[in-house]
Order: sequence, then structure tokens, then C-alpha cells
Amino acid sequence: MTEDRVALISEISEVLETVTNKAIELKPGMNIVNDLGLDSIAVMNFCMALEDRFDISIPLHDMASVVTVDDLASTIETLRSNA
Amino acid sequence: MAILDKFSGLAARYEQLKASGGDPFSIQFDDIISSVEGVVKGKRTLLFGTNNYLGLTFDPISMERSIDAIRKHGTGTTGSRIANGSYREHEKLERELADFYGHEHCMVFSTGYQANLAMISTLVGKDDHLIIDADSHASIYDASRLGHAPVVRFRHNNPEDLAKRLARLKDQPGEKLIVVEGIYSMLGDTAPLKEFVDVKREFGAYLMVDEAHSMGVLGQRGRGLAEREGVEEDVDFVVGTFSKSLASVGGFCVSSVEGFDILRLAARPYMFTASLPPAIIASTLSALETLRNEPQRRAKLRANSRRFYNGLKDAGFTVGPEANPIVAVILNDPAVATMFWKRLVDEGMYLNLALPPATPNSSAFLRSSVSAAHTEEHIDFAIALMTRVGREFGILPEAPEYSNVTPFPRVSAERLSARAATAPARRRAADVGAGMA
Repeated sequence: MTEDRVALISEISEVLETVTNKAIELKPGMNIVNDLGLDSIAVMNFCMALEDRFDISIPLHDMASVVTVDDLASTIETLRSNA
Repeated sequence: MAILDKFSGLAARYEQLKASGGDPFSIQFDDIISSVEGVVKGKRTLLFGTNNYLGLTFDPISMERSIDAIRKHGTGTTGSRIANGSYREHEKLERELADFYGHEHCMVFSTGYQANLAMISTLVGKDDHLIIDADSHASIYDASRLGHAPVVRFRHNNPEDLAKRLARLKDQPGEKLIVVEGIYSMLGDTAPLKEFVDVKREFGAYLMVDEAHSMGVLGQRGRGLAEREGVEEDVDFVVGTFSKSLASVGGFCVSSVEGFDILRLAARPYMFTASLPPAIIASTLSALETLRNEPQRRAKLRANSRRFYNGLKDAGFTVGPEANPIVAVILNDPAVATMFWKRLVDEGMYLNLALPPATPNSSAFLRSSVSAAHTEEHIDFAIALMTRVGREFGILPEAPEYSNVTPFPRVSAERLSARAATAPARRRAADVGAGMA
């Protein structure tokens, strides 16, 4: 894992904390729904918080294909490079 | 059973809800006596969860016209307008609605859900953008999944947040459609429509307002929130329903956007479903006439809404932010809300129990809808009953004087022959004697 990716995942962890109000240490292979215990509404709120943190637009459809924390980091990286 | 295994989590939650004593999903009305009274388990019950804002479900003229329409044109159209053709009355209803809103065009749909599904999924394509309020109704979310446009959500009723999200899409090609609601169906709050219009203009987007809960309720002529806020010219599409103020079923969209009618050949939820039957069109037209000609119903609805909202607020309940016909009492614990709801039903008041995930912030609401047909006595009964139960549940502080009975109000209006539902008809003594002989 590159340093950039490590830094990005730690930034995603901070955003998640603001949504769930609890500290969670994210690992790349974690399943966002099952391992983090987020319901569909929490995922959508997490998505809005990520949009604000990274100043990107994550369409709901894109979020649907995200399964793991690593998928999420890749999606954010792609959207950032397109911005 | 394997195909249904994925619902085991949902089934377990439902079992838990039933075990807690209340099951809002299977309540059955033995009879409906008037637009605000029914019978549940043999007990006369006041209806506070119907969205029957103008109280027109038993309007005698609407009923007569429905019956007449069935006699003349039958019970159903047995198909879609694309395949089976339109009846003259479909077009008449569309003309009347367009006229009511001062728009050029109108399409009617078989439900309000389908109106949103059809319009939203069709108006924006894969190269456009759909921008919706985070607290949107399920029909708007489902439309966003049926269509092909990328979907972005903004924070509920927050024009700045909308602007921020549109700014991110500024350089992307394609049209942008913003969708908001007049009155939100859970808390009864209205959209800050003037501010949304400013954002829409700044970014050159289109604006759709779903006036399902505000048609017949807001605005001097009852056209909804856009009329009240004086921004109708900036609303490109108005969608609405016949199943609330107009007391039937169906939905519509009005607009003056040029070329609108092509949607009849593109919107699949319009094309591939049976059209509205004659009886529904007839009563809807009649209710629309009443809505236009009897503004006193709106005045009564507003007065009733304020009386109920203020009564609950003064009693100490946490209510929604505005005194609209949707009045929500916010109880954070879903288990308490379920028990509370069951007690109210047992004591003769029906209202909606709103549980997560249908509610914002995982809260639970006792959601009422006030009608112009409620009397002050009905409203006062509901306030007194909810206050008494609220005290018993420890949600409100104890009152100095305590009574565990809230007298049921006298009957205000009822359908002829309805009494049979609560008191079985008995033959007169003479008849009984005759039968014995």
C-alpha cells in the first residue's frame, strides 16, 4: 500500500468518526456495510460527508459498487483525479 | 424458503415489533364511517392518519359522479393509454389540472408514486444530473434508481449545501434537475423554496416541486408551497397526487416546458400501466372543483392544524418545526413510540407510527394528519388523550388533577347505515315475538 493510500484511509476514518460519533480504525479489506455496521442511510450520510471533505461529487450509483474500504479509497482517488 | 432468506433480518425485526405489542402494518378497519371516523376491533375510532386534508372522501357530489361514471363507462379501462387509447375524461382531467396551475401541459398517472417514478426517471438521462434532498420520499429515491442519471443528494432543506453540490458539477456537461417537496411527509416541514429558486437560477438548473402534501393545503388558491412563496414561475415541473386533498388515487405532473408531451412516449411508468378508471377520474374532477370553489375548507384545515399543533406543543411534546396539517410528535425510542401508538389505537385514536428507516435521524414519530373535516371536539379529544398517555408513559410531567378517562367526542357525521358496524341491528320485540310463534 502506498503512503498516499495510507494517508487517504486515515482521512476517511476521520470522516467516518464524524458520522458515527465513534472511533473506528479502518483497514483496507474491511467491508463497509458488514464490518462497520452501517445501514443504508448511514452509508448515504457517510457519502455526503466524504463529498464535503474531499470536495468531490460521489454519485449514489458509484457508492453502490463500493464494498470494501479499499474500493472506497480507489473511488475517491479516481474522482479526485478527474476533478 | 431460500429465496426469502435475505429477508430474515427484516423478518426478525418485524417479529420483535409484533412482540412489543403493536403492529402498525396490519391494522384493519372494520368499517370507515366518515372521512375522519372508522371502526377498529368494533370500537369507534377517530382517524388522524389519513392525509384526507379537505375531508372529501365522502363528498356526496363526488360519490354521485363516480357512480354515474361507472354506469356510463364501466369499472375500468383494462389497459394503458398507449395501448388502449385515452378516454375523453383523461384529457379533461389533464386540461383542468393544467388550468388550475396555469401551465400549458399535464400528464396524469395511476398513482402519485408513479408520477414521481415516471417524471424523474425520464427527465434526466445518463448524461444529466439529478440532485435530490436527502429526506426525499421513497418514490423520488426509487425514481433515481430507475433512471440513468448520476444522483447527488444535498442536506435536507439546505440551499447552501445544494449550491455547494451544484458548484462541484458546474463544469460537467448535461442538464441538472433539482427535486424538492412542498411539505415533507414525516415532519410536516416546508422547503425554503425562495432560496432554492435563487440557487436554481444561479446554476441554470431545472426545479421540480412535489406538492403531494401541500396541494389544497398551502397558497391562496391551494396550489401549494410554490404559490404561497410566490415562485411558481420558477418551478419547471409540479408533481402531485390525487390521494390526499383530492380524496381518490392517482398522480399528475404539470409544466410549461415546450415539447412536454413527448414524455408520453418515453416515460415507462406512464406507458406500461393501466390508466385511471372512470370512477376515479370523475370524483377527482369533482374534488378539484370543490378545492377551487371552497377556500373555506383550507381556512378550516389551517385552523385545525394550528389548534392541534399548539395543543400538543403546549402539553410539552416535541413536535415538528411548523404548524402544518402533518403534525409529528417526536419520540426518540421506537419501542416507546410503538407502545404509545398501540394505546392510542386501543382508546379510539388512529394515527401513523413512523419508524426508522422511514424517519430522519433514526428517530420514531407519532405522525398525525389533520383534516378540515375534524371538529374542534375531535382535535381536543386527541390532544387530551395524547397528553394523558404521554403522562402515563413518563414523557410529560404528571398533572395535578388526574383522570384515566378521556370521553370520546359525540358523533359528528356518519354514513347512513354505519351504526351496524358498532351495534349489531336487533329486531324489534314485536318481530322477535312473531318469529317465535
